[in-house]
Amino acid sequence: MLELVGVRHEYDGRVVLDLERFAVPPGAALAVVGPNGSGKSTLLRLLALLERPTVGRVVLDGAVVTPGGVARRRVTLVEQRPILFRATVRENLAFGLQVRGIRRTEVNRRIENVAARLAITPLLGRRRHELSDGEVQRVAVARALAVEPDVLLLDEPASSADRAAALTLYGALAEERARRPLAVCLASHQLEDAYRWADDVRALADGRLSPVTPENLFRVDLVAAERGDLKRACVGTIEIAAVTEKTGPAILAVPPTDIFVSREPLASSARNTFQGRVTGLTRRRAGDGAVHVTADVGVELVAVVTEEALHDLALAPGSPVVFSFKASAVRVF
Amino acid sequence: MDFLAEGFRRALALLFSGDAEVYGIALLTLRIGLISTVVACGLGIPLGFVLATRPFWGRRAALTVVNTALAFPTVVLGLLLYGLLSRRGPLGAMGWLYTWQAIALGDVLLALPIAAALAAAAVQGVDPRIRRTAETLGAGRWRTAWTVAREARFALAAVITTAFGHVVAEIGSAMTVGGNIRGQTRTLTTAVALYTSQGDFGLALALGLILLLLALLVNVALQTLQGRGHA
Repeated sequence: MLELVGVRHEYDGRVVLDLERFAVPPGAALAVVGPNGSGKSTLLRLLALLERPTVGRVVLDGAVVTPGGVARRRVTLVEQRPILFRATVRENLAFGLQVRGIRRTEVNRRIENVAARLAITPLLGRRRHELSDGEVQRVAVARALAVEPDVLLLDEPASSADRAAALTLYGALAEERARRPLAVCLASHQLEDAYRWADDVRALADGRLSPVTPENLFRVDLVAAERGDLKRACVGTIEIAAVTEKTGPAILAVPPTDIFVSREPLASSARNTFQGRVTGLTRRRAGDGAVHVTADVGVELVAVVTEEALHDLALAPGSPVVFSFKASAVRVF
Repeated sequence: MDFLAEGFRRALALLFSGDAEVYGIALLTLRIGLISTVVACGLGIPLGFVLATRPFWGRRAALTVVNTALAFPTVVLGLLLYGLLSRRGPLGAMGWLYTWQAIALGDVLLALPIAAALAAAAVQGVDPRIRRTAETLGAGRWRTAWTVAREARFALAAVITTAFGHVVAEIGSAMTVGGNIRGQTRTLTTAVALYTSQGDFGLALALGLILLLLALLVNVALQTLQGRGHA
């Protein structure tokens, strides 16, 4: 088990991560979601033992570990914008194996194996300037998998990949986890991927684990409305009203279960009513009767409805939809 | 113009006639240049690497010292070396004054800050993700440093070329501590100065052309090496 215990990390005196405890259990499929700047990448770098936390400790299987130690060989990170060495793809895949002193025949066997799983066999002879961003990302994941770490950390692994490449990537990860005990912790802003793939989804906001579900989480600048106690925040092309005493920079969350879904605008007390189109319908847990409706209403929002409500509203991707929620339902922290 | 043309004619004649003195001077210059470049880069490049990558107390001051040393006048360097190597100086017992070793020592001291400063800049220019990637794939300190150096190899090759160029073109220190002794410490630059002052323009020009040729050969050799490893 890889853990951060009592960790606070600062850059130039600014706290970017503050976690009492964050654990990646053995064999876990864990996703960390949150807006840009929420501390996801820092979290992964600390877990990868690339940086030493300003305060606190990193613990691997009960022992405190530090950057530079042999523990780093058990944890591998693929950065959001990975970089390949100035060499062929094959040489890149061989790097971590050569570092470990693995024999050439075994190196070649593992390279062929991992390249086949990530569909990069035709790329093995190419150099980094001959690859697209998506290909670089897949090669970087293959390079990390080749060393067979106990914990694989992935920062936005599908950010440069198209849908098919992302599916190949997630498929390869699932296959690897089925083959041997491998814990994977990925940071992503793509909630659908996180929910579809991970067993455990945790939200990070302003360097802290968020108490709310990670959907509809935004970094905003709150300003006072002209009248009343409401505050307003621009998110995408819409303006969300919230009841809060706070102004200025804040994290704003709209719980998906607090959003009313309708086909037409409702006459109601809800201060937030937005029209848009359905972009996706997801059933995340089999048998729980809940459907996550994702809609583009000027910004992408997720609401949860029952199967029955979905049927009554006859919602499908592309359908017009109205999302409404009260200003008091908006969480600000 | 006749004077210049005559100079070139004599220079080419000397070059192609295999004049022993001309080639003796060239070989000595090449030997001193290569030895001092190897020593200066052998010390300076790792020093530049440390300055660029290892946080330590006084790092900024060390960088300032190295950068200042880039502009150190070679004549003053020669003067200080003369003081150190002269019979009454602290290193007088070595008996290096007016030997090629003294010239090489001066050249090392001249090229060392060049190698260190340019190597530091070259390493700082490497994408920081390279170091992190090497580390996260399990590389130790030395393997990580080697990986970063490989990424900067074109810039580091330029460091070596620049150091060699400065060393073979240097005259102030070579003249002061070498003494320009015929057959012993006469290098291309000191010989060019001497023969020009003696009015033997053709010989000076021949030696100047060899100097250019040496610089060209080293550049071509390094570019050939670089060409073997594409991006």
